[in-house]
Amino acid sequence: MISVAQPLMRTAKKRKLVRNNPETPVILAGVFLCALPIDKLGRLGSYRAMTDPNPKQEFVHGIRDQLPLQLGVIPFGMVFGVLGMASGLTEWQTILMSSIIFGGASQVVFAQLWMAGAAPVIVGSSVTVLNLRHVLYSVTIAKYLRNLSLGWRIILGYLLTDEAFAVSIKRFEQNPVPRHAHYHLLGSGLTLWTFWQISTAAGVWLGTTLPAHLNLDFAIPLTFIAIVAPILRKMPQISAAAASGLVAVFGQSLPWNIWIIAAALAGIVTGAIVERGQDPS
Amino acid sequence: MIWVVMITTGIMTFLMRFSMFSGLINKPLPASFDRYLRYVPIAVLSAIIAASVVIDPATNAPNIGTDRALAAIIAVIVALVTKSVLSTIAVGLSVLWVLQNLV
Repeated sequence: MISVAQPLMRTAKKRKLVRNNPETPVILAGVFLCALPIDKLGRLGSYRAMTDPNPKQEFVHGIRDQLPLQLGVIPFGMVFGVLGMASGLTEWQTILMSSIIFGGASQVVFAQLWMAGAAPVIVGSSVTVLNLRHVLYSVTIAKYLRNLSLGWRIILGYLLTDEAFAVSIKRFEQNPVPRHAHYHLLGSGLTLWTFWQISTAAGVWLGTTLPAHLNLDFAIPLTFIAIVAPILRKMPQISAAAASGLVAVFGQSLPWNIWIIAAALAGIVTGAIVERGQDPS
Repeated sequence: MIWVVMITTGIMTFLMRFSMFSGLINKPLPASFDRYLRYVPIAVLSAIIAASVVIDPATNAPNIGTDRALAAIIAVIVALVTKSVLSTIAVGLSVLWVLQNLV
């Protein structure tokens, strides 16, 4: 990963971006990630691409955009590793769940329900409903992936997680769409996958030596705050977030974790309605 | 048994992610749907944020007076000012630790 990233980072423009980046002190403070070329990361989304980057550049761009999010993913993966073991799963069950299901929150729900002795049908349907939001990701990104080969579509489907989608959809929505934008999703998805597997294994290995009072699971909502807050600039976006948040909070008692898809749909419809009210064209 | 449930759930999750570009649904959505799809990331992520921040894990009820809620508000400010993922996570976690251990 490091060797692939080097050539692109050598340009003077990039160095300037790093030097002027207010994030650099924080990045340097992230010592436990020092094995990564993370001190050279640009601010998320501020990368100025060449007009049409080649596949390798696009892939590296995806990695670079995904890396900052790993500060949230690593602790969360460790939390899942610890929790899986605490729930009575074996090492292999915990570790392999991270590649079989590959969905942070849904793995936590799986482990907790399994520990609570819920019927297999309840466990399966609960996790499935929780992951229904991925259909929304799929429908949003489909028009960009439709013409790829089956192999590509299967791999990108497997990698289409919250974080990969959040990072790569910005790339796909650029105008014009970069020709090799699917390499961006591949890079961001594989980065997330790798960190998720390693951090799960680390959590299993650390076991209960990782104190619960560190609240490391809080890193994931923080990651999403970092993505969402800066785009809350206009009324439709603010309304969408507010509607979704309200339904999420007050829909908690709904069965099978329906709250998440209900909240998402409420937010989407609210955003679109407010937008139409402002600009009826 | 757990393997059966895990693999079934994994396949379901994959199918949901893959569904709309699986080739089984060939018709692209009409362009009028773009107005809705634009809000997918913000709506889904806001739901996850709200549930993790506003729901008190101790009581499973809404509570905006928790340490998590306060840390989240500060994280929102940091995110708005710096637009930096790393700063937001680092400050948010630090604030939570300070609130829980020192205050």
